[in-house]
Amino acid sequence: MPNTQLYSFVPTDLSLGEASFRPSLPLNLVHQQNSVTVSGLLDTGASVNVLPYLVGIELGYIWEQQTTSLNLTGNLAQYQARAVLIQAIVGEFKPVKLVFAWTQATHIPIILGQVNFFIEFDVCFYRSAFQLAHLILPHNAIKIFW
Amino acid sequence: MVSAELLLTLKNLNRSDKFQIMQILISELAEQEINLIRSELAEQEINLIRSDQDYPIWSPYDAVEAADTMLKVLKTAKNQDHA
Repeated sequence: MPNTQLYSFVPTDLSLGEASFRPSLPLNLVHQQNSVTVSGLLDTGASVNVLPYLVGIELGYIWEQQTTSLNLTGNLAQYQARAVLIQAIVGEFKPVKLVFAWTQATHIPIILGQVNFFIEFDVCFYRSAFQLAHLILPHNAIKIFW
Repeated sequence: MVSAELLLTLKNLNRSDKFQIMQILISELAEQEINLIRSELAEQEINLIRSDQDYPIWSPYDAVEAADTMLKVLKTAKNQDHA
């Protein structure tokens, strides 16, 4: 099993070119029998991971059954949120358990934040060289290159 | 194009005047360089950040209570896994 993986910055709007590059990480989220392939925004400024409402529904979560309420901040403060645990698979690495703030907001990216994505993974960014390196330690490492 | 007459005039200056001319020219060049860099930076800013574009920030910055709650949920789940 590798301990390093490389990825590129992802342009989200070709007409905007470099201005639209995002540090997006492809990953699989698994809950019970449901699995979705998504892109998570690596957001070192985010205190927590955030799961958009519709992705949670796709994974089979039922809002009313999630009892741990969370208060988010910033633009997300206006939406209710619940804590959910999801099995995440990144590339060839072994699955990790990520805890997400499942928000009722729908028009947001999946956010990978300090709790607990960056607890599980060490990440380095090399944007100036058009490169993004995700270093996932101690047992995982990812690098992203443009 | 520097004229031969100007070059001859400069060559005939004494040492002190030559230094003074040099300082004036270097100072002017530095100012031109700074203005050039400023205009290049301004152009880059215009290219990278557009006034007609929305840039929403969704980061739950400083959501420490939520983070604490989520860590407890995670810890409970891990304890159950090990039990």
